[in-house]
Amino acid sequence: MFVYEKRLQYPIKIKQTNPKLAKIIITQYGGPDGELGASLRYLSQRFSMPVPELKATLTDIGVEELGHLEMIGTIVYQLTKNLTESEIKEAGFDSYFVDHTAGIYPQAASGTPYSAASMQVKGDPIADLHEDLAADE
Amino acid sequence: MTGRDILLKKLSSYAFASHELKLFLDTHPKDKDTLKKLKEYEAKYKELKMEFEDKYGLIMRKTDDTLMWSWVNDPWPWEE
Repeated sequence: MFVYEKRLQYPIKIKQTNPKLAKIIITQYGGPDGELGASLRYLSQRFSMPVPELKATLTDIGVEELGHLEMIGTIVYQLTKNLTESEIKEAGFDSYFVDHTAGIYPQAASGTPYSAASMQVKGDPIADLHEDLAADE
Repeated sequence: MTGRDILLKKLSSYAFASHELKLFLDTHPKDKDTLKKLKEYEAKYKELKMEFEDKYGLIMRKTDDTLMWSWVNDPWPWEE
């Protein structure tokens, strides 16, 4: 079970929009090693962890990554609020906008949609923890 | 910063510190000093959360209001 708190882990209040920056930051939302990937990694790998300390840690950090996901989504949302047509075009944000307008879509900076193909769950604690290390680089 | 911003940041600081202590306890479950510290920070968080909810709106769902399901009220966290 999960319980939601109606607040961000750290408050975010962006005053200046910046669609060019948003195009890069979105990779931390839905890119191969973004927060969504991290959360799915930990919450899926925990089932086959052999010791209680690891089950606890992966559960708690897997949930925390969802909190990070919410913060990244908020950053992208606030960076792309109320843009004019020329702001969208000048920033090169039009290639994103044509598919998603200013909605928050889980994709990498390259435009590739989020895919579980960018992560692994092997059921072996050492292999999985190494996979986590690589994703955290 | 508004009064709401200041209180939210203070509350978030205690929540973050508590969270870090919980992660430490996941691998050191018998560490008495940390258990004590966590209890202290959680109490402080609870107190600040009550103050915030009284003044600015819910952080966690509540079912004791029979007039309005105020959980739906703006602002949502991304709209701060």
